[in-house]
Amino acid sequence: MNNKLTTMAPWLAYFLIFGSLIFVGGDHTIHIASQVIILGLFAIAFNVLFGTTGLLSFGQAIFYGLGAYITGMMAKSFGGDFFVWALLIAPAAAIVLSVLLGVLSLRLSDVYFTMLTLAFAQLAWGICVKWSSFTGGDDGIQAIPKPELLAGGLNYYIFSFVIVTACLYLLWRLDRSPFGSVLKGIRQNPTRISFIGMNVFRHKLLAYMISSCFTAIAGGLYAGIDKSIHPDMFVWTMSGSIILMTILGGMRSFFGPLIGVAVFILLEDEIGRATQYWSFVIGAIMITVVLLFPKGIVGISRHFARLFAKKGGQRDNP
Amino acid sequence: MKRKTVSILAVLLVSLTSVASFAAETIKIGALYPMSGRGGLYGQDSEAAIKIALAEVNAKGLPGGRKLEAIVTDDQSKPALAVTLAKRYITEDKVKFLYGVVSSGAALAVTEVSKEYKTIFVGSDHAATDLTANAFQKYYFRVSNNTYQSMAAGAMYMQETKMGGKIAYIGPDYAYGRDQIAELKYSLGKLGVKYEMVGEFWPKLYEPDYTSYITAIIKAKPDVLVSGFWGGDTVAFIKQAKAYGLFDKMKYFHPDGGGNYEVFSTLGAECPEGLIMSARHHNNWPDTKENKDFVQKFHKATGRYPSYAAEGAYAGILVIAEAIRKVGNADDTEALIKAMEGMKIKLPEDPAGFTSYIDPKTHQIVQAQAIGVTVKNDKFPPAKYALGKMKVYAADKIMATEEYIDILTKSKKK
Repeated sequence: MNNKLTTMAPWLAYFLIFGSLIFVGGDHTIHIASQVIILGLFAIAFNVLFGTTGLLSFGQAIFYGLGAYITGMMAKSFGGDFFVWALLIAPAAAIVLSVLLGVLSLRLSDVYFTMLTLAFAQLAWGICVKWSSFTGGDDGIQAIPKPELLAGGLNYYIFSFVIVTACLYLLWRLDRSPFGSVLKGIRQNPTRISFIGMNVFRHKLLAYMISSCFTAIAGGLYAGIDKSIHPDMFVWTMSGSIILMTILGGMRSFFGPLIGVAVFILLEDEIGRATQYWSFVIGAIMITVVLLFPKGIVGISRHFARLFAKKGGQRDNP
Repeated sequence: MKRKTVSILAVLLVSLTSVASFAAETIKIGALYPMSGRGGLYGQDSEAAIKIALAEVNAKGLPGGRKLEAIVTDDQSKPALAVTLAKRYITEDKVKFLYGVVSSGAALAVTEVSKEYKTIFVGSDHAATDLTANAFQKYYFRVSNNTYQSMAAGAMYMQETKMGGKIAYIGPDYAYGRDQIAELKYSLGKLGVKYEMVGEFWPKLYEPDYTSYITAIIKAKPDVLVSGFWGGDTVAFIKQAKAYGLFDKMKYFHPDGGGNYEVFSTLGAECPEGLIMSARHHNNWPDTKENKDFVQKFHKATGRYPSYAAEGAYAGILVIAEAIRKVGNADDTEALIKAMEGMKIKLPEDPAGFTSYIDPKTHQIVQAQAIGVTVKNDKFPPAKYALGKMKVYAADKIMATEEYIDILTKSKKK
């Protein structure tokens, strides 16, 4: 009973926080919350590779950008009503691309895999910037139309919330399934997994495809928030900040990356308001967290939860 | 104990909100500029110029005794961040105007926010012609020249000085660089200037080493090298090309941003003589009281001379204040738009006898453009050179034609 409560508590918190915002959030809060859940989906999908399977991809932005550009360009060409369909085409395209890139890159190990993913993403960024007659180049694409029903920040937030929640549920089930256990096994000891008779490469490829698919959905959703997209979405700093946010939140916990994204975006918003040296402040916070609490914010709260538990109080950790 | 804290907090909160409601008497402008990295100087200069302009307009007074106030935030020239900040300005800070923006990509994204929230956006720096052409929306105004205007003036200069013949172009490989040469070719075609393109060179933005381009340009033997560099890239290219003697072999023609003050101040004595350039504002031209006052005030406030960005940032505040005076308040957005359309306003960069005005149709400010050549001038240290022998091109002759706006709209599918 208690155990079940512990597993469901993060979900409860998720619904309480992001659900209640629908009723109480102001325009700006809703805009920030939309960014948090969408980038949160990106980070959690990334963590399927990183925290679960132990694969550090430095190029997940390629799928994020792909999702955004497919959705944005299709809605732009075929009209706002096509927006939702484009959101379905984007992950399909990402799966195809991930098989191609996965077959090429997953055979390599560790740092070589990381470098190759980075190279592919930079290549995509280069194409996006140079092929300006098709992609709009470095100016990006603006005035992306959406269906009437999704107009306005709040409606779009509700729409994103429903989709992100569904995606998170699927990823959560996956994380707890036997397949998820195999992925964790690959992280801990790939040799042993192949001795059991499992195909390590095939599992890695599947994880890569799943991660890419959900990343593209996040990218597609992002195209609807600001109704504008940019080649920045492909660039390596995008992949890099997702890695940072994941580490900040805690990569060994399912919701850790989402917490990292939320903290990062809130800090950027609040500190950016007060000082122009906000990146310095965020850098300092990152260093503190990584050096003192390598398990991220989730690690910190678990630490304190344990302290509370010792004192006799009951506390569920998020 | 706890209750005491709560009540103290409550009192604090109440007093804070009452202060906030009192402060709401001011009319807020939400400005976005890069404050660090390349482009950071433009943001810092713009912020200083905004302060100067605010002091002037507030001293002169606004209807109802209200004051103008500007909030400046670092947008890092990132479109997504600029959009987030713009939305926050409108929904949280309740600004009446969005302002500034250096990156054209960010400006194109912010103009969408302006349209969606029906909030006026006064662009002070970005040069992409698109904003007042194919991506135009009625809440957008621009108070500095766009690249079309610079290049149209450039084409007239080439015609006048018979600079045709073999032409090569070098510019950064992104929209700003691509647009400039397309616009120059269009204007040269309109004027019937004969020329032959012997090469187009596209280094990346912020390229550190231009050697391979310089040798290729010298090999192509053009009579004129047209340049579309931006900011620090101009300085890097000039330094490197000088070492190869490029400027002795051909004319260097840089009509949009070559003559920016920060180029001269960084090059110092290393600046070659006889380069043909322009900028959106010059510290030494025109020789009017308005310009001298502006440059001196800026120098007094910051200890340095302004880059072109400062004048644009200064101009926009005057335009906003003038519109509020005409309408009598800052709440009737539609009336403010009407007031700004066709508004005449005397600015530091206006030569004697000319007053800038805002084109009612495209919301683009119409200004004269002066092109000159580099000559020794140490009145604005640390620069040792400045533009001289200015040729001035009438404002109405260099506006983007409807035909060109059509071409742009079709080619960019917007």
